[in-house]
Amino acid sequence: MSGADIVAILQGAVVTVTLSLVGILIGLPLGLGLALVRWADTPVFARVVALYVSILRATPLVTLLLLLFFALPNIGVPIGPISAAVLALVMNTSAFNCEVWRAALNAFPKDQYEAAQAVGMRAGQRFRRIVLPQIARASLPGLVNEMSLLIKVTPVLAVVGVVDITRAAVRIGAETYEPLPPFLVAVALYMPIVFALVSLQRRIERRQAAAEAAA
Amino acid sequence: MTRPFSRSLSRRTVLAALAATAATPMLGGKARAASMEEIKKRGLIVATEDDFRPFEFVKDGKPTGFDNELVDDLRKYAPFEIKQEILPWTGILAGVSTGKYDVAITAAIITKERKQSLDFTSPIADATHYYVKRKSDTNIKTVKDLSGKTCGVQAGSALLGRLPELKAMLEKQGGTMGKIVEYTSYPEAYQDLALGRTDYVVNTIINLKALVIEKPAVFEVGQAVSGPSFPAWAVAKGNKELLDFLNGFIAKQKETGRFAELQKKWFGEAFTALPVQFEPEF
Repeated sequence: MSGADIVAILQGAVVTVTLSLVGILIGLPLGLGLALVRWADTPVFARVVALYVSILRATPLVTLLLLLFFALPNIGVPIGPISAAVLALVMNTSAFNCEVWRAALNAFPKDQYEAAQAVGMRAGQRFRRIVLPQIARASLPGLVNEMSLLIKVTPVLAVVGVVDITRAAVRIGAETYEPLPPFLVAVALYMPIVFALVSLQRRIERRQAAAEAAA
Repeated sequence: MTRPFSRSLSRRTVLAALAATAATPMLGGKARAASMEEIKKRGLIVATEDDFRPFEFVKDGKPTGFDNELVDDLRKYAPFEIKQEILPWTGILAGVSTGKYDVAITAAIITKERKQSLDFTSPIADATHYYVKRKSDTNIKTVKDLSGKTCGVQAGSALLGRLPELKAMLEKQGGTMGKIVEYTSYPEAYQDLALGRTDYVVNTIINLKALVIEKPAVFEVGQAVSGPSFPAWAVAKGNKELLDFLNGFIAKQKETGRFAELQKKWFGEAFTALPVQFEPEF
């Protein structure tokens, strides 16, 4: 394995991290939005969201991706590999995030909400100041879990031509007939990426605990 | 990683590709190949693989190999733009049959089954199947010695599909076909052969030669275990104009000696007696 090969895997790492981040940054609030629609039991929309979540959770990411990539151009929506990859990631992760958020919302004590109403807080205020901080804390472990899974499913995106860490490693193995060294480098790269995510979770949790102790 | 021309499609991926193709008409669109007129306007979209040495692979970030050199030649030959997409084998044939790519410039073995949904150009190489064994294994000298031995081959591959031919060869000489182990890709099959978990691996002569050049101390190529077999480029079924254009290009490259030169460079030998058209029996 040459220096250029290591650079190729690092470029793959940039792709993996970028796509994962975009997926997380869009999928996280989208999941919350979907969960709120269901929580609020909005007439038709709640049913639509329930259906969306059920379908997306039952669809393997690779299937969804191939479907988007090959079928969308046939209905006049041209889509490139990267856009298809991002769309598939966001659709997939938002469905799972929705359920994590919804679990926290369902467990949220109703009396607190009613108390906030009683002191005259408006809906937006009630959500921002009472509901969100508490459900965010309850959801954090589940959400980080889903994020780390998301990072690890990114090799699937290679099927439409996205070159992530794993694909870069496969390419090198195909060229050198030595698949082991590039894969070791690949594994060594995934670990710090997921570790960074988990450390972030710990830091947030510690800060919350400190804030609580101070309160 | 010498993947065979056949290459594996996991069941999940096949289902996915099928779902994608099946869903296409449901969504109101129609999967169809671009006509030559459209191609002239928007350019020809070719799909190549990225891990299929010596045909197509990536070295230092640049696509190279036999087919990629031909793509470069095609750029000079064609009076229109050539747009290249590089992706793994899994999505390639599905992409061609849905019209996402116009042609798969890779070594797809011509099989009866594939001919139902794709059309193939003139063969670009010889893909007769051979066996490879450990160099240190002195028990195997000819095909006859493969009787009862464990065979490694890629799952879902054209190679796997033609193992009955080897079985017939063995039985004719009073032998039996041993256990068959299927792998998702060839590097794993070679690794297991080197470790002694299998006794021989079946792949095409070109792939095996490339392997042995890289690892002469470990492996040794044996004899042919199939009848004639050829790889070619694939276009959507019925896209005759494009097929004629590509066959014209291949014929010209053969005539000028460029084809033989590239074959010599990448495969170690020139296949000068390739048929212009091949009807597969399997």
